[in-house]
Amino acid sequence: MKQASVKRFLTPLAVAGLALGGAFAASDSDTFVHLTFGNVDTLDPAQAYDTASGYILENIYETLYTYKKGSLTEYEPLLATSYEVSEDGKTYTYTLRKGVKFHSGNEFTCRDVEYSIERLLVTNPADSAGWFYAESLLGVSGNAKDVLGEDASDAEYDAFWEKIDNAVECLDDYTVQFNLVAPDPAFFAKMMYTAASIVDSKWAIEHGAWSGTKADWRDWIGVDLRQFDLHTAASGTGAYRLVKWDGKDVVAERFEDYWGEKPQIKNVLVSVVDEESARIEALRQGDADRITVNDRAVLETQIRGIPGVKVWEDPAWAPAAATAVQFNFNISGQDNPLIGSGKLDGKGIPPDFFTDPDVRKGFAYAIDQDALVDELFLGKAVKLTMPLPPSFLGYDEELPIYNLDLDKAEEHLRKAWGGQVWEKGFELTIAYNTGNTIRQTVAEMIKANIEALNPKFKVNVVGLQWPDFLSKSRDKQLPIAILGWGADYADPDNFIYTFFHTNGFFASRNSFSNPEMDALVEEARTTIDPEKRAELYSRIGQLGYELVPYVTIPVPSPFIVTRDNIEGVYYNPMYSGRFLWKHIVKK
Amino acid sequence: MLGFLVRRLLQLPFVLFAVSLIIVGLLQLLTPAQRAAAFVRSEQQLQNIDQIIEQYNLDENFVVQYTTWLKQVLQGNLGFSTSSKEPVLTTIKKRLPVSAELALYAFFPIVGFGIWLGTLAAVNRDKLIDQLVRILAIMGWSLPTFVFGIWLLAWVYGGLGLFGIGRLSNEYLIELAAGGFTQYTGLMTLDALLNGRLDIFWDALMHLVMPVLTLTVVSGAQIMRVMRSSLLDELGKDYVRTARAKGLSERVVNLKHARRNALIPVITLAGLMFAFLLNGVVVTETIFNYPGIGQWAAQAAVQLDVPAVLGFAMLTAVIVVLANILVDILYAVVDPRIRYD
Repeated sequence: MKQASVKRFLTPLAVAGLALGGAFAASDSDTFVHLTFGNVDTLDPAQAYDTASGYILENIYETLYTYKKGSLTEYEPLLATSYEVSEDGKTYTYTLRKGVKFHSGNEFTCRDVEYSIERLLVTNPADSAGWFYAESLLGVSGNAKDVLGEDASDAEYDAFWEKIDNAVECLDDYTVQFNLVAPDPAFFAKMMYTAASIVDSKWAIEHGAWSGTKADWRDWIGVDLRQFDLHTAASGTGAYRLVKWDGKDVVAERFEDYWGEKPQIKNVLVSVVDEESARIEALRQGDADRITVNDRAVLETQIRGIPGVKVWEDPAWAPAAATAVQFNFNISGQDNPLIGSGKLDGKGIPPDFFTDPDVRKGFAYAIDQDALVDELFLGKAVKLTMPLPPSFLGYDEELPIYNLDLDKAEEHLRKAWGGQVWEKGFELTIAYNTGNTIRQTVAEMIKANIEALNPKFKVNVVGLQWPDFLSKSRDKQLPIAILGWGADYADPDNFIYTFFHTNGFFASRNSFSNPEMDALVEEARTTIDPEKRAELYSRIGQLGYELVPYVTIPVPSPFIVTRDNIEGVYYNPMYSGRFLWKHIVKK
Repeated sequence: MLGFLVRRLLQLPFVLFAVSLIIVGLLQLLTPAQRAAAFVRSEQQLQNIDQIIEQYNLDENFVVQYTTWLKQVLQGNLGFSTSSKEPVLTTIKKRLPVSAELALYAFFPIVGFGIWLGTLAAVNRDKLIDQLVRILAIMGWSLPTFVFGIWLLAWVYGGLGLFGIGRLSNEYLIELAAGGFTQYTGLMTLDALLNGRLDIFWDALMHLVMPVLTLTVVSGAQIMRVMRSSLLDELGKDYVRTARAKGLSERVVNLKHARRNALIPVITLAGLMFAFLLNGVVVTETIFNYPGIGQWAAQAAVQLDVPAVLGFAMLTAVIVVLANILVDILYAVVDPRIRYD
């Protein structure tokens, strides 16, 4: 009797144990599971402008050309087979691939290219990447409503439509021509960004998207595309077909009719797991093939050394981003506690405090680049000579940089504002967005080094929540902002114009303007010859060093974490996922 | 009883109106640029803030914003959630059953262990067992969920390879995404049985173990403490002494007489606890990647996702009102002297 009851008790346990083992075995050999953080924003290529969305889009949709695996300077054709640029640099003609099928089964033709790019120009919502296509093809950055306003006449709207209609032309079923308003050497790179993904026009129209004609174009100007079918469903030509995105997890499967080489991985699951420990434990268990980790300290202390886990890294890898300490030349003084009294009286700073180059140089020499590399990034980071990713055309690694030199900092600050700064002292506040430890560390470093120079110098450091930080930043209230730019497309103009041209986003916000700089930037952005361009960017870098509107901070060396049975991993900073699923193999 | 129910349910629209008014009012304290943060995901987009404010009408005044929202709600549309990237109602429909399943599985062990251990401690007052239970209660009470949860995650899942994170194993997530599995109720274990899939039922059950255990340890302690003190209170009363004097066994006195009366405050607490569980348990859901409503609400709040926050607040109000009604009904069941007519 007793024996029987023990048995009765043990049997379910044994069954449970067996089942447990079965249920949690490592994922199948034809399934790739990636645990990451940050939700996909939308699967509509015309709306998406974030890396989580880009990661899915670059695998299910295709552009005309793309990068050759990890290279930023070599390209390979996808939906096009060749292309030509006219001599004046204003016409790009692509020959398209024949025999390509969309996931819906529809045939790919020039009509789809025309539809996709025109749709981008028609809709161009404020929070999308449409602006840089509109710049090249229409000569403006906004959509028709932004540019013309609600009250414009029908004739003005018609003229805008004509411009869109003429920007992209099908010469025949497999030849497309883009007509630019001015030479733009960055156009080819722009066409490789996911916003220029080719959507299945027939399928999209059937699913309630814009008709592709003048008839309803005005209904689609600037609309939030997240309300429509293409937000959650897709018919692309990519090697993977979207099975489902439930607002959190994405499931994709190999597209069996793909025109190119058949990938080895059949199923892909990208799951959002916000808790880092959960991602790490799943990797340890083999329930994840890849996990996203941003912080090198976490990599070194918690991940490296886990059996069966591989860390991919290479000293040649560099992110396509640049972060800089930005000096505001004309701080908004209205109700701004960040500049204290608003005067040079020892209790604040005047709004034009940073217009004096000696102030800027004094601050620049207070930033310890070596310490940032060693302490913040555990020695794995690259010091930037200019606000441009090192892998981009025109980056000049020979240029000088400002590094910690308190004597020089003192020398410049003694001279600043005719000696008044040193005599009266000042007080200002550096704000960073809460949670960004890199920016916090840089701010604390500036505080420590500047305050050590003179007891009359006071630098406060304050963390602001994102909405507050955003609002203060927009209102130009931050005396010093530590902000970064990530590449939209792999062209130096994307960074250089943003940082250095009077009308560039960062320059205009910091009221930085220099005619010599503007002339150089304008020349560089319209020069087709790469060698000449590179030389111009080098001169821009040198001038940037002399004028010091910014001090760049080191960029961390990237790494990728997978299980060790994953092969074929490479790093391309222009891919949101760093590599495409179709290139990897699971042993 | 029916009159009581109708009266209580009629209060609901007023509660909802007041809650929504307060939230929309509070949001007016933010500037349009601050509210635009919900749409700005990268620094690149800082340059488009003004267009974003215009596109999403973030600079409209309080009355316009509230009436726009109210009109939508009256048409059965709670708006679009920028954090879950879909209509608020869709997210609630998807995630509420997930939290409800977790709440149902966690509620019974929480209350069961709480009442059992609380009773055990009270009837053995100051004996070793009481001391042990009290230490356990203090530990459970003071143990932060994230500490216990992470410990379970690292030791049980990471170390021993048992159970799992999320709601299902990867292969089932992939299978379910492809269709062919009908979601009748949204409760995965129940749906698995209705689909005749014992393997999915078992897998879903295994994924519930760690979150349920975390909630039981942390929340069970509260029930245990209330049960113990309430029962001690009752045991000191005259009717208990009378019952003992009549020669009733200790078991009958404790369980039939005293414990029944001691349950009243426990029911109040349990009702609130159920509402709290149903409303999503943010930390537990986040640690174990359990896609419930709490995880979403926390993200929505941080991202200033106004329609989501409003939708979640409405849902909370409904749950709390209903839970209170349920508690009142249970009072009458436990103590027949309580009448509502």
